[in-house]
Amino acid sequence: MKIIKLVWSYLRIGIANELQYRVNFFIQLLQSFIALATGLIVLWLVFSQTTELGGWSQPELLAVMGIYMLVGGVIQSAIQPNMQRLMNEIQDGTLDFALTKPVDGQILISIREFRFWQLTDVLVGLVVIVIAIVQLKEQVGILQALAFIAALILGGIMIYCFWLILTTTAFWIIRIWELVNLFQGLYAAGRWPVTIYPQWLRIGLTFLVPVAFAITVPAQALTNRLTPLTLVEALGLAVLLMGLARVIWRMGVRSYSGASA
Amino acid sequence: MQSPVIEVNNLSKHYRVPVREAGLKAATKSLFKRKYNTVKAVESISFKIDPGEVVGFLGPNGAGKTTTLKMLSGLLFPTTGTSMVLGYQPSRRQAEFLGQITLVMGNRSQMSWDLPALDSFELQRAIYGIPRPEFEKTRDEYIELLEVKELVRKPVRNLSLGERMKVEIIVALLHRPKVLFLDEPTIGLDVTMQRRIRLFVEEYNHRTGATVLLTSHYMADVEALCKRVIVIHNGKLLFDGDLAALLERFSAFKTICVTLANGNGSFSHYGEVLNQDAGHFTLRIPREKTPDITARILAEQKVEDLTVEDPPIEDIIEKVFSQKSVEA
Repeated sequence: MKIIKLVWSYLRIGIANELQYRVNFFIQLLQSFIALATGLIVLWLVFSQTTELGGWSQPELLAVMGIYMLVGGVIQSAIQPNMQRLMNEIQDGTLDFALTKPVDGQILISIREFRFWQLTDVLVGLVVIVIAIVQLKEQVGILQALAFIAALILGGIMIYCFWLILTTTAFWIIRIWELVNLFQGLYAAGRWPVTIYPQWLRIGLTFLVPVAFAITVPAQALTNRLTPLTLVEALGLAVLLMGLARVIWRMGVRSYSGASA
Repeated sequence: MQSPVIEVNNLSKHYRVPVREAGLKAATKSLFKRKYNTVKAVESISFKIDPGEVVGFLGPNGAGKTTTLKMLSGLLFPTTGTSMVLGYQPSRRQAEFLGQITLVMGNRSQMSWDLPALDSFELQRAIYGIPRPEFEKTRDEYIELLEVKELVRKPVRNLSLGERMKVEIIVALLHRPKVLFLDEPTIGLDVTMQRRIRLFVEEYNHRTGATVLLTSHYMADVEALCKRVIVIHNGKLLFDGDLAALLERFSAFKTICVTLANGNGSFSHYGEVLNQDAGHFTLRIPREKTPDITARILAEQKVEDLTVEDPPIEDIIEKVFSQKSVEA
C-alpha cells in the first residue's frame, strides 16, 4: 500500500513537473511521427516486393510495429530514465541517499523517474495496433486479447529486469554507457518479428535480450499464433529474470562502496 | 546511565583496490591480471555516543571519517567489528532503523534539480510515510527557521549553493530523525550561511534531543556545536574527548596575517614566518605571546591591515598527528 502511494507521489509530481514544458510535448510528438513514418515507408517498401514476410502479412507486421512503438514508449518513459539515473548515482555516489531510505532500494530506484511526454510513443503505438487489428482478416477474440495483454505485461517485466541487471553491473564496472547503446541497437531488431531472423540471432533476441518476448510474443498472441506453451515459457522466464535481477541487485548493493567523498 | 545511541567496537573497513603502473603497457597487462592493494580505510576503532550528544568527527582527508559514517548509516558492510545504532545493526538496513536516521553530505545533493524543493519535501513524506498534519507542521517550522519561504518554490537548480544546502537540510530532517550523520554539511558555504546551518542543527538538537555525529573542516562549526570530538587518522582513533582539551593541547599557536603599506619589511624576529609574498606576511606565534607581538608589529611597522586567527582545524589536526604519543 505504501509502495502504491509512493509510486503515485512520484508519478504525480513527475507529470506535474513535465506539464510545464509543453514544447517537449510537440517535439516528442514530432519524433513519434517521424519514427512512425519511417516505419511505414519501410513496411511499404517491403510489401511492394512481396505479399508476406516470413509468414507475416501486411496488417500483422503493422501490428508488430505498433507493439514495437508501444513497448519502446514504455521503456523510454518509465524504465530507461530510472536506470540512467541509477547509473549516474552509482557513478557520483548520490545513490547513498536512496539506499538510506526506509523503502526497498530496488523498488525505490525503479520508480523515481517518469517521462510523461514519451507516452506519445505509447499512444501512437496503440493507434497503429488498432488500425492493424481492423485490417486483420481474423477477428481478435477475448482470449487473444487477454493473452496479448498478459504477454505484453510479461514482456515489460522481462525488459525491466534485463535493464536492471545491465545497470546493476555499474556497481562493478561503473561505466556502462556502451552496454546501453548495445541494448538500443538490439531493441531496434524488434521492429520485425524475430521469427524472420536466422536461428542464432533469434535465440539471442529471445533469451539474451528479451526483445522477442516483449514484442514478437504479444504480436503472436494478437495474430492467433501463440501457443499456451509460449505464454507459460514467458511466465517462467519472467519469474527467473525477476529472481536473477534481485540477486544481482543485492550483490551490487553489497559491493557498493559509494564514490568516496 | 542511559544506554548509548551509537556503539562501535573494533570496527574496521578494508578495501581492495586495483593498482597498476602508469602507461599503456601496464594498462593492457592489468586487463588480464590485476594486482590489488588492501587499503585499511578504518582500522579497529571503538567509541560510544550517548543520546543527545553532538560529537565532532575530525581527521584529514582520507582519514576514514566518511567510511565510518557510511558504515554507521548502513551503506557499507564492515570488514570486521560491530556497530550498533539505536539498538540496530546498521548493515542489516531494516526500515525501522533507516526511518530514524538521516545522512547529509555537503558535497552531494539528494534533491531533484528540476523540481522545486516543495515537491522534494512531498516525495520525502511519501518515502518516510509521515502523516500529513505532522509533515506540514514540521515543514513549515523548518521553512520559518531557515527563512526559505520563497526559495522552496523555485526549481532547485536555480538556488545558490547556500540556499540549496538549507533546503537540503530541511529535506533530510523532515522525518525528525533521532540520529544525524552530517558529513561536511557546511562545505563551500560563506560564513553567514555556515552560521545559519550550524544554528539550525543546534536548534534541532535542543528541540528533539537528537544525537549528531558531524564531520567538518571548519573549526567554527566544531567549536559552536561539539563539546566532544573524536579524531581519527589513517583509519585509527587518535583522540576521543573534550574539544577544549584537544585545543589546549594542540592549538598552542595563533596566526597573524599582516599587510604592509609599503610592501617590504622583515618579520623573522617576531616569530616563525609561514608565508610571505608582495607585502603580505603570515606568522605563527605562540598563543600567550600573541597580544605582545601584535602590539609590537603595530608599533614598529607601517601596517595597512592585520588579523589574528586561530590556525585552521587542519593545522591543529596535523599537529595532533605529528605527535604520536596521544592517548585516546
